[in-house]
Amino acid sequence: MSFVSWQYALFLPALLLAYWRLPWRGRILLLVTGSYFFYGMWDPRFLALLLTTTVVDYFNALAIAGRRAPSARIFGIASLPLVWLTACLATGSGHSGSTKWAVTAAAFFPIVYASAYQLLWGLPVRKQRRSFLLFSIMSNLAVLCFFKYFNFFGGSLTLLLDHLGWDPGWTLPHIILPVGISFYTFQSISYAVDVYRNTAKPADDFFTFAAFVSFFPQLVAGPIERCHDLLPQLQKPAVLEAAHLHRGLRLILVGLFKKVFVADNCAVLANFAFDAKTPLNGQWALLGVLAFAFQIYGDFSGYTDIARGSARLLGIHLNSNFRFPYFASNPADFWRRWHQTLSAWFRDYVYIPLGGNRHGTSISIRNVWITMLLAGLWHGANWTYVLWGGYHAMLLTLFRVLPALDQLGETRLNSRGRQTVGVMLMFALSLVGWAIFRSKDMAELGRWFTAFGNWSASATVDWVKPFGWWLAHAGPLLLLQAATWKARDEVEFAHFSWPFRGLVYTLLFLLAASSAVNDVEFIYFQF
Amino acid sequence: MNRWITAPFLLMLLLLAGSELIVRGFFARNMSGRFEYGYHPTAGFVENQDGTVSLVRAGGRRFFPQRFSRRRPAGTFRVLVVGDSVPRGPSVAASYPGRIAGKLQALGIQAESYNMGVAGNGARRSQIILRKALDYEPSVVVLHVNNSNEYEDEREFKRAQEFKSWSPKNWLMKSLLVHRLHEAKTEQMFWKWLPGEVRILGAPTDADAEVQASQNLAKIREWDERVRQHTAASVALARDRGVPILLVAQTRCRQDASGHYALDDMGLDRMLLPFIGKGVYFLSMKEVFQETDFAPLFGDQAHLRLAGHERMAEAVVNKLRQENLSRGG
Repeated sequence: MSFVSWQYALFLPALLLAYWRLPWRGRILLLVTGSYFFYGMWDPRFLALLLTTTVVDYFNALAIAGRRAPSARIFGIASLPLVWLTACLATGSGHSGSTKWAVTAAAFFPIVYASAYQLLWGLPVRKQRRSFLLFSIMSNLAVLCFFKYFNFFGGSLTLLLDHLGWDPGWTLPHIILPVGISFYTFQSISYAVDVYRNTAKPADDFFTFAAFVSFFPQLVAGPIERCHDLLPQLQKPAVLEAAHLHRGLRLILVGLFKKVFVADNCAVLANFAFDAKTPLNGQWALLGVLAFAFQIYGDFSGYTDIARGSARLLGIHLNSNFRFPYFASNPADFWRRWHQTLSAWFRDYVYIPLGGNRHGTSISIRNVWITMLLAGLWHGANWTYVLWGGYHAMLLTLFRVLPALDQLGETRLNSRGRQTVGVMLMFALSLVGWAIFRSKDMAELGRWFTAFGNWSASATVDWVKPFGWWLAHAGPLLLLQAATWKARDEVEFAHFSWPFRGLVYTLLFLLAASSAVNDVEFIYFQF
Repeated sequence: MNRWITAPFLLMLLLLAGSELIVRGFFARNMSGRFEYGYHPTAGFVENQDGTVSLVRAGGRRFFPQRFSRRRPAGTFRVLVVGDSVPRGPSVAASYPGRIAGKLQALGIQAESYNMGVAGNGARRSQIILRKALDYEPSVVVLHVNNSNEYEDEREFKRAQEFKSWSPKNWLMKSLLVHRLHEAKTEQMFWKWLPGEVRILGAPTDADAEVQASQNLAKIREWDERVRQHTAASVALARDRGVPILLVAQTRCRQDASGHYALDDMGLDRMLLPFIGKGVYFLSMKEVFQETDFAPLFGDQAHLRLAGHERMAEAVVNKLRQENLSRGG
């Protein structure tokens, strides 16, 4: 179910009405049921996968904390994916061929998991915790790699062998990518690691943990929450406050504006500029990437705002993901402002464990490259995403080894003019990054770069009025950012008078409503 | 204090409610039916205070902008052409409907002709335009009949019906304020600021479904029958109003495997011939073109180049003269 669908407009109020009337236990069960319903609207079969991840991480985290669960309980709960898939098969949901295959896998899962669990308990005590952690990480990564990267690496290998003149003679199965798999597997991995590091306590209750993994506002595209942030909020009943309602509705309104008005309208230009059949000139190459920069920002930060707003209406705080990213003055600053929860995840679970910047410049740069390449690959199974990660690693490296570049953005050390230059330079660099990110393949990227060699207006369609279209949709977002700048938050402008705020809310609503007809899916669902 | 309703929120509600009332009170007449997807009886026809009618691009009905008097000027022969993208052509001046007037004037007849072609319109939607066109005292209406737009007609009909349903999907657009804003943005910005090549990539497409349906013989028979029924109804409409109607049957220019071009009337000639009778005339595009080197006159299988439109305009004028229609001015 998409946040910008009419189904969600009915689902959320109905869930809220029930939620605030229920005691704590009822709320948790409602959240799990509601979240599974929300996710199952895309494809109910993949709920079995979500359930499997939940089962593994729940029992493994308890084991890491030294608490052994009885085999019968493990077997019973681990049978839930099988029960669900059998029900899907019986009711004819999904394609029967792949569902039957999944049912077979789910039938083996309780036996295999319960056996592996008992086997690990048989290890020496000093190895047990680490083994359960590795089991948890590996199972999450296996699920992620299979569903997200099997076709990518399999296809790349086939292509390579083909180039070498050897026909492998196999046909790769088409594997459907479950929505949001990258987000919930990363959240589950961080949970197991945090329990292992003793920075978080494992959830005692299975349903509370299931609510943590599947919490619908952030299930499919984040923010990627840490267990010490989200789990305690689920473990105690939230109190109904007017502040939750006000903040939640503000976030949802701003999120809808960003998604429906800014992103979906900028997408029209980006889709044209990055279409293989479009004859490009310099003007359209620039306009296309500008449009995409605002499309992806409006789309993803809009999603995050609606997610945070929906959670807030349930009395739950989710972390922010964006803070004026196009006002960053250097690459490190950009990553502190763009997709903050993912940046923090890679920092805490990849970069720092690799040694971070504790072992000198060269090791630090190596760690940056590993982290950024993985972050690029996380975004999608395509070499352009890897290149995008590499491009940002290169920027981070350059700004580290060339201090003159980095100092451009140092506000305290330099004038406002130098700060502006730093922001403009970083924005231009991020545009190049978005061109890499948006291109389907290297040929398309090459086409985008070569377009800058042709500034003939007659090479393609008129760009002046479409530029006006972009300005008409990106401009209001920039004005909103100017209004919220002082609050250092993208949705708050409490320092303005109430009539001004009322007028802004009205305008945001009308601008979003004037564009709200087509159902355009959020970009980050595919990651 | 823990107030549930804040002043800015209240102001927003008041502003939205007030604006809705104002729009409903003062601007409701301008509603042109975007969400009726071409099924609105008057979308695209704007009747001005000065007694003229403007054809505008509105309500999913993309007329070329034209203006004419509501009442036919005395002694003027008025031809209104209704149909799809074929008669619509690349512009009024370059299309056969737009060229009819010039050809009649060259014969000394005081004449005017208007192009009411809308791309993608099938028999059902053309009939709605024809019904409105009959209000403007045409001397003759030309109904260009094609049978390749029925899928689109059906799809848009379903959309129009769905919009009228209770479905929550449409609740937002039930607000006249939002509806008008959306329409204004689409008509004044989306259509005017973005070139066609850009717009088409931003539009959702169901081309695959259309192609699939067009290969289904049962479906084609069903569509042909619908074209016949709607054309019969259109003929009856014109007869009731005492307006002569000229049915033009579309033809296609197809290339066979050996590279030869041939004309295919897709059964339309056979379908339309039985309608000939009092006040109902027939012109076959196939017959018009088969005597000529026709392939260069077609831009693709169905659409005409400038010379093709010129040939069609000549044929229509000849038909009008042959049937003594152009004397009735």
